Amino acid sequence: MGVEYRIFEVFIQKDHGSPHVWVGSVDAGSPDDALLLARESFLRRDPAVSIWVVEQHRIHRTDYEDRDFFARESDKTYRMLSGYNKANAERWRKYKKNLLDLEKDFVKD
Amino acid sequence: MTELIQRTDEQRLAEFMARIERGEKIEATDWMPDEYRITLVKFMQMHALSEVMGALPEKEWVPKAPTLARKLSLMAKVQDEMGHGQLILRVAEDLAVPLGKNREDLVNELFTGQAKFHNVFHMPAPTWADAGIIGWLVDGAAVVSQAALLDSSYGPYARVLQRVCAEEGFHIQHGESICLALAEGTPAQRQMLQEALTRWWESLLLFFGPAETTSASATILLKYRFRTKTNEELRQKFFSKYVPRIWSLGLTLPDPDFRWNESTQLWEYTAPDWSKLKAIARNEGPLSQYRLGLRRISYEQTRWVREALLGGSSARAV
Repeated sequence: MGVEYRIFEVFIQKDHGSPHVWVGSVDAGSPDDALLLARESFLRRDPAVSIWVVEQHRIHRTDYEDRDFFARESDKTYRMLSGYNKANAERWRKYKKNLLDLEKDFVKD
Repeated sequence: MTELIQRTDEQRLAEFMARIERGEKIEATDWMPDEYRITLVKFMQMHALSEVMGALPEKEWVPKAPTLARKLSLMAKVQDEMGHGQLILRVAEDLAVPLGKNREDLVNELFTGQAKFHNVFHMPAPTWADAGIIGWLVDGAAVVSQAALLDSSYGPYARVLQRVCAEEGFHIQHGESICLALAEGTPAQRQMLQEALTRWWESLLLFFGPAETTSASATILLKYRFRTKTNEELRQKFFSKYVPRIWSLGLTLPDPDFRWNESTQLWEYTAPDWSKLKAIARNEGPLSQYRLGLRRISYEQTRWVREALLGGSSARAV
């Protein structure tokens, strides 16, 4: 027959506010079947709004052994919240003010 | 030249072991020693096939379930087990490719006896209480051993187990629900539950395997931290979780010597007949041939579906 099952990687988006997240893979003869199998394998309980299937060999990926690609400078605190918030909170205390918090004071308030 | 390659392999093995010891996860595309690959394929193949074979004793009870609600949960459970088989086979087949084996080979080795399935699925489930005990205690034993593999050194298996364990969590609640209803039911229902427990007790002890794990594959699985707990540690954990609950329902274990030893902090029990495990491994258990027959029939009867799915894709690919 010459046609074989192919491996499709499966990405599921649980709601419109969330990204597609890789959940696993399925063997299927076609993309349509892969979508169906993905629904049956990964969504027997959880709701979702979208599934992507991608043939495994179409994915370009980094090599786990290529540590250099992911090499990083040792101290990244200058890019991080944690590099500033503690010292700032300490200073604000002098003025009897709390540190503003993204989630608490801007997103939720 | 040979010497050079030899040295490189040794270095790679040393790096591999260092990664394992640092608690890193191994991925399908990483270099790995052959014994790691071969043993893992065997282990995951058995796990996957056991999920599939495990659905068989349970599906016997789908048409005979006492209520529609029970029938629905049991159907969901059977479907989950088949789904687990699919997910784990998918992981196993990636590792099997360099061994010259594909998915179909892994499935077919069940029929030739080269691949085994778990001892508990060679046993009969003659009453509704057996369906309950399978869900409560057999799946409970499975969760104990699978949860211990969640931090396995092999990344793809550990990831797939997260989903498997979450769904097994539902199965044990369903099994508990059946057993609690029987335990609080009529004297006949209580007796049926007690008889099922008595019937399954030895299989539950056999489930975890002998305490002295001297087999080559067990040693390899521990050495490479695919698993970190021994058979006996898992069995003891199972006792601690379940025996107090069994007793609290007024049920008795068919082992007069079973007791908690305060000084050793271990449960003491009468060893099961280990020769039964060996017979089962040769597919000479009570229902080994019957269940393999069922599996063979269903595999043959659905062959046209597998072929039709491939046929459809070739038409579309034009």
